[in-house]
Amino acid sequence: MNASSSPLLNYVVFLPMAFAFLVLLLPGNEKGQIRFATLLGMLVNLVTGIWAFAAFNPAGSEFQLEYRLFWLSDLGISYHLGVDGLAVALVLLTALLGPLVVLSSWRFVEERVKEFHVCLLVLQTAMMGALCSLDVMLFYIFFEAMLIPMYFLIGVFGSEERQKAALKFFLYTLVGSLLMLLALLWVFFLSGPEGTRSFDYAALYNNLMEANREVSLCMQNNAHCSNLSATAAALLKWGPWMFGAFALAFAIKVPMFPVHTWLPDAHVQAPVAGSMVLAGVLLKMGTFGFWRYAMPLFPAQAWAYQNVLVALSLIGIVYGALMCLAQKDIKKLIAYSSVSHMGFCMLGMLTFQAEGTMGAAYQMLNHGVSTGALFLLFGMLYERRHLRNMTDYGGIAKAMPIFTVFFLIITFSSIAVPGTNGFVGEFLVLLGTFKSNLPLWAGILATTGVIFGAAYMLWVVQRVFFGPVTQQANAGLKDLRFREFVTALPLVLLVFVMGLKPQPILEVLSPSVKRYVARVHQAKPNPESNTARELLRMHVRELPTPKLAQAQVDDSQPLNQPGERQ
Amino acid sequence: MEKLFPEYPFSIQNIENGLWLIIALPLLGALINGVFGKALGRKNVHWVACASVGGSFLLSLLVMWALGNVNTSVFNPFSPDISRYALSADYGTWFSAGSFKVSFGLWADRLSATMLLVITGVGFLIHLYSTSYMEHDKGYAKYFCFLNLFVAMMLTLVLADSLVLLFVGWEGVGLCSYLLIGFWYDDNAKAWAGRKAFITNRIGDFGFLVASFLLVLLVTAAVREAPQGTPVSSYRFSTGLSEKGPLAFQSLSALATTLAATDTTAKPNQETPALVMNRDIETGPLKGYSYAGVLTAVLLFFLLGAAGKSAQLPLYVWLPDAMAGPTPVSALIHAATMVTAGVYLFCRISYLVVLSPFAMATIAVVGCLTALIAALIAFAQDDIKKILAYSTVSQLGFMFMGIGCGLFWAAFLHVVTHAFFKACMFLGAGSVMHGNGDETNIKRLGGLRREMPWTSWTFLIGTLAITGIVPLSGFFSKDAILFGLETQQLTGYVPVLHTLYWLGLIAAACTAFYMVRLYVLTFEGKRSPLAKLPHAHESAWPMTLPLVVLAALSVLAIAHGLPLLSLPHSPHHSQTLMEAYLFPVFNVANQLGADTQKLLKTGLDKTEWTSLLWTGWFKAWLIALVSGGISALLYFKLWRGGRKFPAILEPLRRFAQNKFFVDELYELLFIERAKGLAKGLYRYVDAFFVDRVAVHGTAQTVGFLGRVLCWFQNGNVQAYASAIALALAVGLTYALLQVLS
Repeated sequence: MNASSSPLLNYVVFLPMAFAFLVLLLPGNEKGQIRFATLLGMLVNLVTGIWAFAAFNPAGSEFQLEYRLFWLSDLGISYHLGVDGLAVALVLLTALLGPLVVLSSWRFVEERVKEFHVCLLVLQTAMMGALCSLDVMLFYIFFEAMLIPMYFLIGVFGSEERQKAALKFFLYTLVGSLLMLLALLWVFFLSGPEGTRSFDYAALYNNLMEANREVSLCMQNNAHCSNLSATAAALLKWGPWMFGAFALAFAIKVPMFPVHTWLPDAHVQAPVAGSMVLAGVLLKMGTFGFWRYAMPLFPAQAWAYQNVLVALSLIGIVYGALMCLAQKDIKKLIAYSSVSHMGFCMLGMLTFQAEGTMGAAYQMLNHGVSTGALFLLFGMLYERRHLRNMTDYGGIAKAMPIFTVFFLIITFSSIAVPGTNGFVGEFLVLLGTFKSNLPLWAGILATTGVIFGAAYMLWVVQRVFFGPVTQQANAGLKDLRFREFVTALPLVLLVFVMGLKPQPILEVLSPSVKRYVARVHQAKPNPESNTARELLRMHVRELPTPKLAQAQVDDSQPLNQPGERQ
Repeated sequence: MEKLFPEYPFSIQNIENGLWLIIALPLLGALINGVFGKALGRKNVHWVACASVGGSFLLSLLVMWALGNVNTSVFNPFSPDISRYALSADYGTWFSAGSFKVSFGLWADRLSATMLLVITGVGFLIHLYSTSYMEHDKGYAKYFCFLNLFVAMMLTLVLADSLVLLFVGWEGVGLCSYLLIGFWYDDNAKAWAGRKAFITNRIGDFGFLVASFLLVLLVTAAVREAPQGTPVSSYRFSTGLSEKGPLAFQSLSALATTLAATDTTAKPNQETPALVMNRDIETGPLKGYSYAGVLTAVLLFFLLGAAGKSAQLPLYVWLPDAMAGPTPVSALIHAATMVTAGVYLFCRISYLVVLSPFAMATIAVVGCLTALIAALIAFAQDDIKKILAYSTVSQLGFMFMGIGCGLFWAAFLHVVTHAFFKACMFLGAGSVMHGNGDETNIKRLGGLRREMPWTSWTFLIGTLAITGIVPLSGFFSKDAILFGLETQQLTGYVPVLHTLYWLGLIAAACTAFYMVRLYVLTFEGKRSPLAKLPHAHESAWPMTLPLVVLAALSVLAIAHGLPLLSLPHSPHHSQTLMEAYLFPVFNVANQLGADTQKLLKTGLDKTEWTSLLWTGWFKAWLIALVSGGISALLYFKLWRGGRKFPAILEPLRRFAQNKFFVDELYELLFIERAKGLAKGLYRYVDAFFVDRVAVHGTAQTVGFLGRVLCWFQNGNVQAYASAIALALAVGLTYALLQVLS
């Protein structure tokens, strides 16, 4: 069953790049024109993003809006775009943050304006590309390409110690992704005999399916280990290393404890726009990577290392929150809160179960909205005072009431007060943790996160906004300008919309959740039933050539839900 | 009762569909005042605020009226039964994932309807009062925005038809409480008090969430393992589950019925079905735990939640500090409504509560200890609001005792009467502060009776009501609870309840003592020379009118506590009006308690019962009278006019005045520890070990290796040549040695 081809995703991915060329052509001192052109590019991107989201049919096939072209066929690489439910939701999030990022830096960046905006647009293309790629090599190219503009955003436009932070960010991420590249090549060579290999995501996955099944059976029962195929034997032996490489690359991006220390530095030094994109979208590349690649390609290993990853996520939740309580620097605090929140995302995904996974997916979007908004709002304050420590503020509520209201709303979203978006995600993640095979205390420990979260966020609010005005300079601060108000308002409204009407988004995510859970559960196979396995295959648009393996199975039947133990 | 009022004349369908309006009106008010408050001007702001709550009050009256009708019934989505005396409405799915679902469903039965009237009624009076009390405040619109929002959230809490939606209200009221306690945020101490309240409540919310998740697991396990013929194994239940999710109250009720039906403690000889309440769960995440055990754990986690919201041990510490907020807020949130949410929660899930005698006994013990400790602390306080706060904590303890002994209606009756008299007294305290330049120290007041007649008379009525003097409402509600402690047969814990009865009497005596002290020092005698203003002034009518109405209600509410003349339901004991009215709500719980023989009524005949009732009443009344009398005597005569407190008792008084150092203890034990842990982890683990040693260590090792290799790659051809020569020489020597040996 081939979905009809649609060029829409090409526009989603490459229109920002086209605008980047446009901006390059503009004279460097025409700051207004540059900003306006960038904003226009981002708005066009937003329109295409919304279009893609609206065009996605939750009841349809797994990957939609597919577009595929010949590209480096000899290497098994093709230009293949397409989105599933999670990807299209993240595309929407990315598209939404785009214009806000530009608006947030309208006054903040006055030097090298052209370079700054080109970076933003290129970054947008890279992020969209990584989300929309259905070819693993294409994904890898976009995934790495994100690093370059981000490196410049931090290293050129950041604060005092920007270069050190940028270097740390770059090297940290690169280490992980290079290991991933190795593992990727390994998987590629493993996936089949010469000539049938492909970097296409679906082909790679489908080719490994049978081997994965044998590995899982073998890991469950030694009796099945005797007559493994060559692929399965290799996967059994080296699978942990490959999974480890993928997991490390994505864990650094998330970031999970203990590979998180680049994040506070990067956030502290990055300009507002950098922090917003970093927290809003870039971190999600880690969780998205786990979801798309690490878990489905290596389900047996995912189960085998579930405990380790869950332990790291739990540490992330509690430890991240405790770190927040020890900070003086507000940006650093928000960065550590990301560690805690992303811990929830990872935990949900690692429940391998419907509610938790859905919560994780939703939490990715929530984190983008609420932490993106936290950085945006703090950026507005930073723009006025150029100070980051809590002790430098106090009594801001008097001077900036509207700003305070916005910040409070985002705070409540961040600590998951019901009615805001954070609650839905966090509730589902915790529910999933309780329902999953994990021990009960894991769920209880994760739930303590709600206490710590309130403790540190309200501490910030207290120190910055309440109390008497301690410094004269804070007394005369101007409340939000119209531009700032317009920038913050969409996120503030989204907090409530996503909190009270989550169902439309959950429905888009739902098929992806079902497939993710089913695919991870391949590792717990039931030797008797082979029928369900056919449904796990991926179906994508094929190149009009017989070179690549043909997979032709009906995809429309509903998936069973193995998330709960029977 | 049906005869007292005419039949409900309107369509039941209409009121069901309009249930959301009860919440939406105050929410709209909050929105209007929040967004356009500045532009509207004060007049319009309080019009919007009062009218929205007033509108909700009228709608609540209609709901109450409709619920008097036997034909007001709804289909239960989880079983083929019909729920009588209830209204429900479903406004679609909120969120769903996997097999879990929550809908925006509202449910009004007589319990929620009574709460609705209290919230909107007392709420309206307090809004009215606030128009005068907050007259000169700069944040007038903001204040009413928060107050309206609070009312909306509280209404959500009582109208919710599932635990998740109830949790929306539960956290929502906590949020509003945070905002209102820290209303005058430029005072650091007040803002900190708000934060303390929120975080303490969050500890409770943690308990609430864990309990909810465990309940989901319990329902799932029961559905899987229940034998045929039980409510949860029916087809209807599975459709209900997919329609409303496992945390809807009707689902929990079916769960309770199922568990009770398979309980074997009472019927040891019965053939045991597959699912047994006392047997271990066989599959799923709860494997290895018994249903009864998990249920007890659930209730204890809920107790933690309720202790946070209703200021019980060990989480009561936030409530006295919460007095930092404006006084009407203390009256509405921290006396009449929000703090009773824990009691409401247990009444809502009464059918689950009765299945665990251990949890019930724990609830009762926690309530009793709270009542005693708070009362003892209240002895030594001099701040009028603090005394009232501790008395609230103490009275909430009484309500928990009522829950613990299974007399849900009595606990709830105390919620209602307490709402009236405590709101009356808090507003009275506000009026006193308003007329005396915000003086709160009762030792610097005195003699206000002549200057503030309305305030003092209504305060006196409130004092008498809480003390438990006969013709006032507090007497009936408090003594119903004490009587319950004496007569309820909680299997295995009867001696506990009997002990609590005596402790409860002591707490009641303390209440009488400190409340009379408060009244006498504030209103009687001569004006203190330390007073801020030479003369107090009586407040304006928007403030005195609510006082009068609430005082009148404190008296009239005795109607709820009076025994009914006709006794249709029960052969051997007389039901009070409240008990009869709430009969449809607590019927299931009473049935289950009796069926499983976990909670029984004493098998007394009618005359024994009556005599026990009368002696109980007399005892309680006498104790209140004597204790109050001693207090009046002491503070009227002995310690009036700067007379010293006896020196022997001074350390004790200090100890009580400093609230037994509980706050300091918590600070030392938990807060400092957590802060120390956070700082230590940050400094040593994160900054030093992970970042410096591991990350920078790796970088520096690589750098070092690079420098070492640099030393070789120095571009000096002679050095290269000598290295080659050296290597060659070593190689040759080695080869030679190999050949020779």
